[in-house]
Amino acid sequence: MSTPTVRVLYIDDEENNLQAFRASFRRMYEIYTAISAAEGLLILQNIDVHVIIADQKMPNTTGVEFFRSIVDTHPDPIRILLTGYTDIEALADAINHGDIYRYITKPWNDLELHNSIKNAYDAYRAKIDLRNKMVELQKTNDELNRFIYSISHELRAPLVSVIGIINLVKMEGLYDSSGEYWGLIETCSNKLDYYIQKTLQYYKNAKDVPDHSEINFATIVNELVELHGFSDKDTNFNVSINQNVRFIGDAFRIEVILSNLISNAIKYQKTNEPNKTVNIHIEVDEHEAQIEINDNGMGILKEHLEKIFTQFFKSKMHHGSGLGLFIVKEALNKINGNINVSSNIENGTTFKITIPNAK
Amino acid sequence: MPNRTGKVLLIDDNEIDLKIHYRIINLSGFFDEIISCQSGEEGLAYINKNLSNPEQWPDFILLDIQMPEMDGFEFLEIYKKFPKAFLDTCKLAILSSTLDFGDIKKAEANPLVIKLLKKPLYPNELKELLSKYSGSLGI
Repeated sequence: MSTPTVRVLYIDDEENNLQAFRASFRRMYEIYTAISAAEGLLILQNIDVHVIIADQKMPNTTGVEFFRSIVDTHPDPIRILLTGYTDIEALADAINHGDIYRYITKPWNDLELHNSIKNAYDAYRAKIDLRNKMVELQKTNDELNRFIYSISHELRAPLVSVIGIINLVKMEGLYDSSGEYWGLIETCSNKLDYYIQKTLQYYKNAKDVPDHSEINFATIVNELVELHGFSDKDTNFNVSINQNVRFIGDAFRIEVILSNLISNAIKYQKTNEPNKTVNIHIEVDEHEAQIEINDNGMGILKEHLEKIFTQFFKSKMHHGSGLGLFIVKEALNKINGNINVSSNIENGTTFKITIPNAK
Repeated sequence: MPNRTGKVLLIDDNEIDLKIHYRIINLSGFFDEIISCQSGEEGLAYINKNLSNPEQWPDFILLDIQMPEMDGFEFLEIYKKFPKAFLDTCKLAILSSTLDFGDIKKAEANPLVIKLLKKPLYPNELKELLSKYSGSLGI
């Protein structure tokens, strides 16, 4: 790797110092000198300088004043302050307001100054590299977002067409015409669709910053009950929602949480239960929303209770993706909510959730 | 309206989905006439051509969101400028496979969209929606 060109600007009101500096360092750096702060600023506006060295004691503008004046306009170059005597006040001021990297006393020692400039340049590179990394990260993130969006469309659209065709096959009475093949295609398609949906939910939850919008729990719950109840008409829903205050929260995540829990409550029913029931009770006050979702389904084994929120945990008996409750937990983490579960094989399962009101 | 038969306009760039929706609606018998359009532009052209002839107006439109060139939302921007008499007669629902939260919220917020239906289209879902509007649909 060839040595990079380091551009150094040195500002001092004494011409002798400027000349001495040039003489010492012109072979190592690209050197710009200025006899006043004003001239220094002019150079800064035209040249992309890496390191600025300024004398503290100058007639119109001191070194610290100069550094302070360029904090917003030229944040990148690394600053070194030169001063003839130890002036604690100037030093404190420099550190607090001028973003000074180093403080060197006059007359300078060539080696010390050389090392300082070298280190300052490294600091400059680190700063710029970090910024480039940030830009790169932002770009990768944007690409990921576009990728997720395109999965949700391009990958899912043909799958949904397949499911549509299976529905047509049913309508035309052909479903049983080829043994169990249509049924198998349907099972696979639904499973794939379910995974795509859960994967999207997971990524969207992981990446988005929490949003704050007004939440009407009755609307959300009724929509979800209608949506999930559509495929299962046997389940009775008892919904009671007590919301008299404005609730501000993350609409997407709250929907994801409720949707997964309601869908589980329906999915894991006892097959021989005549009165399949899901109770949803929500209390909303100034501070939080307390949500209770209770079912008389098959319950969760005690030894499984601790694991149900882990990714890809699924019980042997039931065909889940192992993602639903994991996503619920992740989503609650993002919005500072929490969840408790109690369950037994006889009476079913109760999930209790609290979500803070971000009002 | 006497002498009118129910017409539905399907707008979707995906030929297979158009075919599927055509068959489902045909088998269910919800409408007497199904007009398939492969783009928003084609749908607008159909409406424009028949604007002076209310007998040819569709009673119902099923609109996809993701389409090349003119997407569903761009279609709606132009669609909303049709005369009030037309917009009062014709109801519009979105039929899309989207899972995008932004798309869903945008569709729900649009005053001209009576419902966001998700693909695959289930005849019962469509039937339920149509029965809600049967008074104003004239079918």
